[in-house]
Amino acid sequence: MLDAGRHPYIDVLTNSELTGLGGHAGNFRATVRRNPRYVSEDLCTGCGQCADDCPVVVPNEFEVGMGARKAIYQPFAQAVPNTYIIDSDNCLNDNFLVCNNCVRSCDRNAIDFDDVGREIELDIGSVIVATGFDVYDTSALPSYGYGLYDNVLTNMELERVLNATGPTRGHIIRPSDHKVPKTLAFIQCVGSRGEGKEAGCQYCSRFCCMNAVKDCLLVKQHEPDIEKILVFYIDLRAAGKGFEEFYQRSTEMPELEYIRGRPSKILEDPKTKDPIIFYENGETGQVSKVRVDLAVLSAGAVASESNVKLAAALGIDLDENGFFKIETRYGSPLHTTKDGVYVCGCAAGINDISDSVTQGSGAAAQAERHVAKFRVKEEPQEIKELDISGPPRVGVFICHCGINIAGVLDIESLKEDAAALPDVVYVEDNLFLCSDEGQRLIQEQIAEQNLNRVVGVACTPRTHEPIFRESCELVGLNPYLFEMVNVRDQCSWVHTAEPENAGQKAGDLIRMGVAKARKLQPLYRKSIPVTQSVLVIGGGVAGMCAALELEAQGVKVFLSEKEGRLGGRLNSLTKVYPADLSAFELARTIVKKINTSRVEAIASTEINSITGYVGNFDVSSTCGNFRVGSIILATGAEIYNPDGEFGYGEYENVITNQELEDILHDSKGEIKIGGRTPETVVFIQCIGSRNAGKNPGCSRFCCPTTIKQAIRLRESGVNVAVFHRDMRTVGAKAEEHYRHARALGVKFIRYTPERLPKVMGNGKRAETVEILELALNRTLEISTDHVILASGMVPNEQSTAKLQDLLKVPRGSDGFFMERHAKLGPVETTIEGVFLAGCASGPRDIADSIAQGCAAAAKAAVILSGDTVDLEPITCIVDKTLCRACGQCVEICQYHAPSLTEVAPGLSAAQINPALCKGCGTCASWCPTGAIAALHFTDEQIDSMMEALLTVGT
Amino acid sequence: MAIKTSKREKKVTWEEFVPDIVAFACNWCSYAGADTAGVNRIQHSPNFRIIRTMCSGRVTPAYVLKALKLGADGVLVSGCHFGDCHYIFGNYEAVKQFEKTKALVKTLGLDEKRVRLEWVSAAEGGRWADVINEFVGQITALGPSPLNHKPKSGK
Repeated sequence: MLDAGRHPYIDVLTNSELTGLGGHAGNFRATVRRNPRYVSEDLCTGCGQCADDCPVVVPNEFEVGMGARKAIYQPFAQAVPNTYIIDSDNCLNDNFLVCNNCVRSCDRNAIDFDDVGREIELDIGSVIVATGFDVYDTSALPSYGYGLYDNVLTNMELERVLNATGPTRGHIIRPSDHKVPKTLAFIQCVGSRGEGKEAGCQYCSRFCCMNAVKDCLLVKQHEPDIEKILVFYIDLRAAGKGFEEFYQRSTEMPELEYIRGRPSKILEDPKTKDPIIFYENGETGQVSKVRVDLAVLSAGAVASESNVKLAAALGIDLDENGFFKIETRYGSPLHTTKDGVYVCGCAAGINDISDSVTQGSGAAAQAERHVAKFRVKEEPQEIKELDISGPPRVGVFICHCGINIAGVLDIESLKEDAAALPDVVYVEDNLFLCSDEGQRLIQEQIAEQNLNRVVGVACTPRTHEPIFRESCELVGLNPYLFEMVNVRDQCSWVHTAEPENAGQKAGDLIRMGVAKARKLQPLYRKSIPVTQSVLVIGGGVAGMCAALELEAQGVKVFLSEKEGRLGGRLNSLTKVYPADLSAFELARTIVKKINTSRVEAIASTEINSITGYVGNFDVSSTCGNFRVGSIILATGAEIYNPDGEFGYGEYENVITNQELEDILHDSKGEIKIGGRTPETVVFIQCIGSRNAGKNPGCSRFCCPTTIKQAIRLRESGVNVAVFHRDMRTVGAKAEEHYRHARALGVKFIRYTPERLPKVMGNGKRAETVEILELALNRTLEISTDHVILASGMVPNEQSTAKLQDLLKVPRGSDGFFMERHAKLGPVETTIEGVFLAGCASGPRDIADSIAQGCAAAAKAAVILSGDTVDLEPITCIVDKTLCRACGQCVEICQYHAPSLTEVAPGLSAAQINPALCKGCGTCASWCPTGAIAALHFTDEQIDSMMEALLTVGT
Repeated sequence: MAIKTSKREKKVTWEEFVPDIVAFACNWCSYAGADTAGVNRIQHSPNFRIIRTMCSGRVTPAYVLKALKLGADGVLVSGCHFGDCHYIFGNYEAVKQFEKTKALVKTLGLDEKRVRLEWVSAAEGGRWADVINEFVGQITALGPSPLNHKPKSGK
């Protein structure tokens, strides 16, 4: 959020609504209504004095009503922009007698009750809709008593309660008596997967299962004495990378019990206020009730109410659930019904965080198609650098931040102390140092006093250091000669009641800051030229989409495929759910686009070696050598080979999902498997997935695939039974398909991993499958013509191992490539300039692979958007004379920045590649000879801070 | 010029003991967590001074020992929770470093409770305050470090 707010090319328009969109893709004109905020964004510094003086207290929406806020408020602590806003519905200035407390308390005159908002027009190339979702209103289900009973909460409320910054500061208490609950129950699918009118939405909200699993672990962590946590669920849908493993970990918790079944009602014991839950255990069929201290309803997601208005303004359609409708023609989850308008995250259906992040980047790639040709190239400004030789001359600038700092700390006394510090030649204070006036003061004094080090005593460097650095840079002082001392966020704000101690602390912090400033050295951003091309490894759907997106932006793309033709797994599929899109048609369309584009597709190619780093990778392949600026790994995955399991390989009529897909692909009309029309077919799920030993993860795509195939078979009159552990309907409309399959008469029977189904046969053919029906507690024998094994996905060991070796991209314990961050960096790797798309990082369906391809393209385009990439100068450097080439740094660094090179015949030393180094300094801390220095955080600088703090008299 | 010093000038007795604590906080999580405590105005003990590093993995035993040698009564090292490290595994390296630190602190004859390793995320302002209050309480209970040669005479 902070990054977006600070980005030079991003204008954040909060408190605004889009009211109209004219024109066409590439040339839209949008009308945006900026609603009145009554507080000037330019003047407000976010000090919060106004909120302290505001007399109106209302429930805080961010705390789901469990906390309070004022009528002038900041929506939440880290809000961007850092500006207050007046809630005109509750403000007393609407009265006959105006209150005006906030106007009086604001030192900056930022409050303007005459603000009426305004309408602005924007000329834009494309639109991305990322409006998210609303939480289902659980009070619509009277049987669960939300709103009637004190001790029935929703998952969103529990999230705030568990949060360290929430209304209870992370302490779990139940509302009725503020006691710590000993027993807790989660009720899943509240408002999701509903049957009938009263029950909310029909679809699966996708995030609630993992949310409940996570909350169970958090509850245990916060309250180790908890006695019992119950989770009532229908199917536990842990279908994401690492989710199944996480869920399995939770089952090891002795206090946690998962109960299959959806409770019918909750009643309250009027004396104790304990919720009593009535339920039928889906595995034993037993009807019973349980008393708990606190019940948590896992509320699902519904489409945002404002979607209707926005869809009308944009001229796009909504689907039957009120989400933005996806144009399924492209197989991609990012297109709306209007060209140039894209959608991501939960605006078009429910996604988890990692998929939402992927879609966000993917939608950006789509939007870039329309605006890439208008990309601005910055002209570097020529600024003469100041001569900083000679002894340090430190200027100390102290900010009042209105009364935020000056109200607690004695600025005069701090000034006096600072003036006495060594090398300090100038000290000044200012009401708001970050204002234009404050920054001008610093710039003028740098020139006037010949300052060569600047110390800003104000708020946190995390938000304001860039502003100060830029001001220094503009007058020729190297920005890394600026040091920031945080006396607001970490001093005056948190020691408000003890000004004397706060003053001592601030004095110490200034001494430390000045000591470090005296040791600061200028650092320079290096830039390296970027080769304007990208290599996409893997010609499956993800790789092809990545290549096409980049090509549309005018980038030279090499698309390498080890097989003889493009298309990957798409070539062997029949229909792509949910749209019933022909996979063959989709593959043909995309391949045709590739062939008519400038993408250089090189089939039957093996990559032999890759050297270099971001901006310049030298690639050698069986089709020649070339240099690229970035690499996208879209190497896909393989279907697990179930040899020897459930009679596969032994009986000829036991086949995999994939083999059935091939048969369905080839059959027109009547379906014949092995030459005959089947009467009964049995599917067995989770083959090579959710297998604690070998493949612990969930493969995600097999449940929807089975549902799709089962429907196809059932529609042509075949009796179909599906043996499963949990039906996990990942992806848009999959839950609806599951419902449709059940309505058609497909039998879904559950099995447990302790009692696997048994395939029994005679000679070369399987004849019956034996399964323990849990509710009946009886073993059923079902005779069948064919057994279909839903085989999961595994990484291609050979090719992933080879690329791991070539590029140093790490792999997870499951063998798939590891993303930089499971949630926030799903297509990035730890290696700068190398990205992931599709099944290279884990099992995915077609729609998600396309989104990943687009996302990886957007990320690669960022690197190629300029002729050069700037390297952050805060890196580590090696003093070769001290290095004894022990190689510790090489071993530790996750980014492979250090390497050992021969500096003289027979003499090696480490060398750190500044293009790869992130500046964390961990190698410096391990270096046994002290040869590595972490720039801007050197031993000398940190030592000087400690000496200044602990030794009086320096 | 009259020089004031922010240090206490009179002799410190046991009852009046206010500990000097150095807190190394990583830029991405713990330093940000301390900021969050500020934004939410979560009041906590002022008896610590933060030194910001990019990563908790940067904090060598040498830093901690130097702080103790200079008279710090306690040293806190704080980084991101496992899995949250901005540099992937920097905090795992911090754990290894900290094991060495603890062993060295013991060898020097100091109580190993004077040093502590904690994880505080950018959102956990409340946790930061709790960690600080608890550690300050612990160090106060331990009393002045034998290496803390107070009173310092000022200048």
